[in-house]
Amino acid sequence: MNSGMGLSPIIPDHRDGDDTIAKRAHYSPPWADVSIIGVAGSSGSGKTTLSHAIVNKLNLPWVVIMSMDSFYKPLDPESSKKAFRNEYDFDAPEAIDFDELVSCLRDLKAGKRTQIPNYSFEKHARLENSTVIYSPHVLILEGIFALHDPRVLDLMDMRIYCEADADTCLSRRIIRDVRDRGRDVEGCIKQWFAFVKPNFENYVQPQKNVADIIVPRGIENRVAMSMVTQYIERQLLEKSTRHRAALKSLERGYDSEPLSERVLVLQQTPQLRGMNTIIQDIDTSSEDFVFYFDRLSCLLLELALNNAQFKEHVVETPQGHAYQGLTGKGEVSAVVVLRGGATFEAGLRRIIPDCRTGRVLIQSDMRTGEPELHYLKLPQNINEHDTVLLLDAQMSSGGSALMAVQVLVDHGVPQNRIVFVTYSAGRVGVHRLTKVFPEVTVVVGSMVPDFEERWVEKRYFRC
Amino acid sequence: MSDQTEKRPEVGPTQCVGPDYRTESQKPVATVSTEIEYDNVITLPQTPQLIALLTMIRDRNTDRADFIFYSNRIIRLLVEEGLNHLPIVEQTVTTPVGRTYAGLQFQGKICGVSIMRAGESMEQGLRDCCRSVRIGKILIQRDEETSMPKLFYDKLPEDIADRWVLLLDPMFATGGSAIMAVDVLKSRGVPEERILFLNLIASPQGIKNFATQFPKLRVVTAFVDQGLDEKNYIIPGLGDFGDRYYTM
Repeated sequence: MNSGMGLSPIIPDHRDGDDTIAKRAHYSPPWADVSIIGVAGSSGSGKTTLSHAIVNKLNLPWVVIMSMDSFYKPLDPESSKKAFRNEYDFDAPEAIDFDELVSCLRDLKAGKRTQIPNYSFEKHARLENSTVIYSPHVLILEGIFALHDPRVLDLMDMRIYCEADADTCLSRRIIRDVRDRGRDVEGCIKQWFAFVKPNFENYVQPQKNVADIIVPRGIENRVAMSMVTQYIERQLLEKSTRHRAALKSLERGYDSEPLSERVLVLQQTPQLRGMNTIIQDIDTSSEDFVFYFDRLSCLLLELALNNAQFKEHVVETPQGHAYQGLTGKGEVSAVVVLRGGATFEAGLRRIIPDCRTGRVLIQSDMRTGEPELHYLKLPQNINEHDTVLLLDAQMSSGGSALMAVQVLVDHGVPQNRIVFVTYSAGRVGVHRLTKVFPEVTVVVGSMVPDFEERWVEKRYFRC
Repeated sequence: MSDQTEKRPEVGPTQCVGPDYRTESQKPVATVSTEIEYDNVITLPQTPQLIALLTMIRDRNTDRADFIFYSNRIIRLLVEEGLNHLPIVEQTVTTPVGRTYAGLQFQGKICGVSIMRAGESMEQGLRDCCRSVRIGKILIQRDEETSMPKLFYDKLPEDIADRWVLLLDPMFATGGSAIMAVDVLKSRGVPEERILFLNLIASPQGIKNFATQFPKLRVVTAFVDQGLDEKNYIIPGLGDFGDRYYTM
């Protein structure tokens, strides 16, 4: 069985040489290591039902079921006419666009987002809009030919073949096609004998030979079900352990090496220390806390903006004198790492009132301590913005900062345009982040002991 | 910079500005604050962001809304810097996660005094940093007959002699009215060393006048311009600050 370990660590194939693996310490975010499970079997053998049952049993966030139905080839006019006469062979491997499927799966394996085509059975054509998905923890690929293409098999961590009695298959298929796909019974039966049955013998059944598990009787087969889910759970646990070990290994040298020159700590002036004294005092009232935090966040963001891009700009003053100044170059946008980063928003609006602001929700898994990406909404064309401020109130282990930066890099934002801004950070976290992403600028309000639990957002939002 | 096509004017010292980790060629060139020799003058760090803000408010084509917004941003930075010069005592506190923080606390009371009308434009920035701060006002106008500045009105906190004073006037040209304002403050018992004069743009002449007359008073400015023209306007300056902020 392919354990997934044999696959080389996945790094997106880069458009520019900016962040090649050779130049930076290796960090592979957890989602760049999606487990792909293939579920194949005859039409009507219960693949979809089995897939849903696995998802329910796993009870995990971030599990996606991808149907191979989405990857039917768009039909030319000739084939389309055939299709409407029920004479087109949808049950042959030729009907599937495996190239497209492989490219989607490779994107997901690389931790990148991908676009899944939308196929309309009513129109026998691909619809204009495609579905964008991000790499999940587990992806279940289900389809008659899920185990057909060797390239797809290579990407899979587990291969399941569903077996069912032919009569059951035919009856399920008729019900489904009539109910969901706008066909009539006669057409279905015609298809069955013309295509489905011969194809089954030629292409579907042989997939048994490459399957890891053959599941008879679908979801009624509890033994098989729990085998499958247990296996996946174990694999996820291994991945999570590996991920945390990788994070740990990035710590090396944090106490001996100086911080990168791209780490800028706000100058600890008397005023700043005075504000910090109020902010950090457990006895400070909420009104004062918010007031001083907003004030300090303005200073922090002003410092961050010095790392934006500027160009020379000559202006004329009202008296007609020329002044050789500067003006901001390109767009500055922000991405808030929820919930902590949202504490900076009041300060941000004081400085750039109309700043485009994306949001990511990253939460640490309670059991494993591993950061998980739960929500993502970024400005369009963020990859074209000249500066992206990435905001989080605190950085402790650096896990969620690494994850947030990786999300931006995956969305095409070059490292050197990212400015990570945080109220406080520990050396270990900063060291990890700059080891992995040496060209990211890190702006810190003040350095604190390592591994401090998050308290700023609790104080700021008062819950 | 490769996209630089405009001709660079000769208006004071220029240098590459930007963070240290960028190479000189990666940093754009801009006119920066003129060096001055007096150590009672604190000039804000010449960051690209500050230069860009100043460029915005110097530009005659900048509309009033932008002028107000961007000058407020500079004013806040000035106030933050000014507050750094207040006296402090050590204070250790316990943080919400139980760590101790060896911090400090400000000693002494402050107040703002704005020189009307332009100085009043700086009050919002002061309030953004110090809520419910007391703010006094001084009106000084040029006497038509003598063409010398003349005190027309003042309203100051009664206990001003016990306070640190942030004197506010955005444009520091010859310093004529500011000198008069300082004299008023001194006559109310405020010692020179407890006055911080906050302005956006200063002239070397004004700074020199101040340094000679009030050697212990500290001046906090965002930028020292090249000089004054024959009408005593700052070059290159930004025009009449009060007009651009309030009425233009």
